[in-house]
Amino acid sequence: MSDTVTVSPSSVDLRVQLGRLHLANPILVASGTFGYAREMEHLVDLGRLGGILPKTITMAARPGNPPWRTVEASAGLLNSIGLDNDGLEAFIEHHLPYLAGLPTAIIVSIAGRTVDEFVAMAARLDREAGIAGLELNISCPNVSGGVDFGTDAGLCGQLVRNVLSACRIPVIAKLTPNVTRIADIAIAASEAGADAISLINTVQGMAVDWRKRKPILGNVLGGLSGPAIKPIALRCVHQVRQAVRTPLIGIGGIATIDDVMEFFVAGASAVQIGTANYYDPTVSMKLLDRLPAALSEAGAASVAELTGTLQLPARPSADLPSKPSGT
Amino acid sequence: MTECNPLHAAHYPDQARCTTVPIVENGPLARDTHRVRIQCPEIARTLVPGQFVMMRLAGFNDPLIGRALAVYDTFPDAVSQPAGIDVVYMVKGKFTHRLAECRPGQLLDVWGPLGNGFEAKAVDHLILVAGGIGQTPFVTVAQEALGHRQYGTPPRSNARCGRVTLCYGARSADMLAGVGDFEQLGVDVQLATEDGSRGHRGLVTDVLAGVLRGSHGSRRILCCGPERMMQAVAGVAAQHETPCEVSLESPMACGIGICFSCVVKLDDGQGGWDYRRTCVEGPVFDAAKIRW
Ligand SMILES: Cc1cc2nc3c(=O)[nH]c(=O)nc-3n(C[C@H](O)[C@H](O)[C@H](O)COP(=O)(O)OP(=O)(O)OC[C@H]3O[C@@H](n4cnc5c(N)ncnc54)[C@H](O)[C@@H]3O)c2cc1C
Ligand SMILES: Cc1cc2nc3c(=O)[nH]c(=O)nc-3n(C[C@H](O)[C@H](O)[C@H](O)COP(=O)(O)O)c2cc1C
Ligand code: FES
Repeated sequence: MSDTVTVSPSSVDLRVQLGRLHLANPILVASGTFGYAREMEHLVDLGRLGGILPKTITMAARPGNPPWRTVEASAGLLNSIGLDNDGLEAFIEHHLPYLAGLPTAIIVSIAGRTVDEFVAMAARLDREAGIAGLELNISCPNVSGGVDFGTDAGLCGQLVRNVLSACRIPVIAKLTPNVTRIADIAIAASEAGADAISLINTVQGMAVDWRKRKPILGNVLGGLSGPAIKPIALRCVHQVRQAVRTPLIGIGGIATIDDVMEFFVAGASAVQIGTANYYDPTVSMKLLDRLPAALSEAGAASVAELTGTLQLPARPSADLPSKPSGT
Repeated sequence: MTECNPLHAAHYPDQARCTTVPIVENGPLARDTHRVRIQCPEIARTLVPGQFVMMRLAGFNDPLIGRALAVYDTFPDAVSQPAGIDVVYMVKGKFTHRLAECRPGQLLDVWGPLGNGFEAKAVDHLILVAGGIGQTPFVTVAQEALGHRQYGTPPRSNARCGRVTLCYGARSADMLAGVGDFEQLGVDVQLATEDGSRGHRGLVTDVLAGVLRGSHGSRRILCCGPERMMQAVAGVAAQHETPCEVSLESPMACGIGICFSCVVKLDDGQGGWDYRRTCVEGPVFDAAKIRW
């Protein structure tokens, strides 16, 4: 990226490639924050999106958690939806025909309790047309009873490997930030051959009503999303980018074009918009309107030219005492 | 697509507009209760009684999430076309405290109209039951039922009701908001306050039971208020074999069906239940179908 090169907004190439997955542009909408897309048909030009991730599906139907399922936090939202969905077959029968007919990439988000369940879901979806990719939701903090693939590098690698061998669809692993070293999990997903890595899912949290001495969320614990978690998400993208070459999809608090550009510079090849869809239903369209000019301003003819161009300060000199971060 | 797909809700936000619009007026109406008037002709033209809008302070990230608010009524422009909406809100928490301080000109993000609203049905006696801030969806209902105004584009058929009663309960007289608006329309208003400072001393359900005893012909109850009160009203309605619909105030995060926050336990018609989204399948439900 050089200041002297000028790129006109109209000549910017918005296409991105994530492993075997080719997208018309890098603006996607995150799973669980866009329903099954039909809801948004009249508010958003769905065909303009780089991709749509419908709400995560599980093998069997799940009622989800009892209310309250969301509660606001400062510049954020806590949720414990609990993967409320009608199950894989209902999805294929009732939602996929509509989704597959949209002129955009449909990336189906799946969650299983075991490796075998993930594999069976992937194999079943492989028989259906119109699916551009699978995202493995191994990071949902609201589901009890499942194996925690997102916090164990070995399990994560095994899962990605088995799913990849069960289907021909490109596979994305979606990671949780609720781990000590996210790079370790990402390395496992990368070595297993994931086409891309999405990060992050929500940050575990809770809300308390002190007068009633009760948790506010029906499920006690929930996941924090929205602008409040953007710094955490950027940190995760940065750390993972240092560790792997697999393309990254940045998620977490993205609401403005500056947010999008920050994620590219930190190492993302694409982004997913989540909570912002709730409080600004047309946000994805606004970002798409502004993206060419922003890339042009950065002197980038494509997203790839900007991805991971973060310039780190020179290493602290040896005579400075090394301080742990944050102090 | 919507009609034939069992997993697609009947009231996706297909008519909704997302707008950033200025406050025209904002001021107190009763204790802790204010009315805000906003300029939004597209929303005002298409809405039907019982629908709601989502609202937030434009450009602010705290509060972040929109709040669902019933449309109190529309107001006309110089040539009698709908120019915008009034919303009546109780000052309660994060958003409503901030909203109460807003001056005319302040921009709000507003999206709507949302939800199913109340169907227009001609009955001999329409009984509206409100508790707390639950009177807000009923001004438009009364306007329509008494033939004063039509709503929607094209204007939906005017299902006139012989008589409209509002049973309205609040903690005390100073918290009753908009009673005059209903009386002006010709609504028979029956009040209850917990402290007896106005109307019947006690609960609105007592008032409702009395109204039902003195009522003849076809009847329909519409109810909005705190959940416990709606449940009690549903019970009274069932005792009197009167159809009852409730408008729920489920906690919402999007209002447009994409977050699955706002669920209510609904009979699935096969002996079981399912969580359904209030924002796209409601907020108005047949009270008999709700698993309280
Ligand atoms: C369809 C619909 C229509 C509505 N219409 C109106 C209306 O016309 N006028 C009006 O004043 N309000 C209405 N509400 C409620 C409104 O959406 C807000 O919840 C309310 O204004 C409080 O917002 P706040 O930010 O001030 O309070 P918050 O800071 O969000 O909360 C204040 C307190 O109220 C509790 N609370 C918040 N939301 C709810 C809820 N939905 N149910 C029960 N407790 C809650 C919180 O736990 C907290 O204790 C409606 C809600 C729905 C779903
Ligand atoms: C209400 C809600 C429901 C969500 N449901 C899912 C889900 O089903 N599957 C999933 O992979 N992520 C889910 N997420 C996480 C988002 O996709 C996203 O990773 C996270 O919210 C961070 O991005 P944001 O800050 O832009 O929202 C959900 C988030 C929210 C707020
Ligand atoms: S409030 Fe988001 S689905 Fe109803």
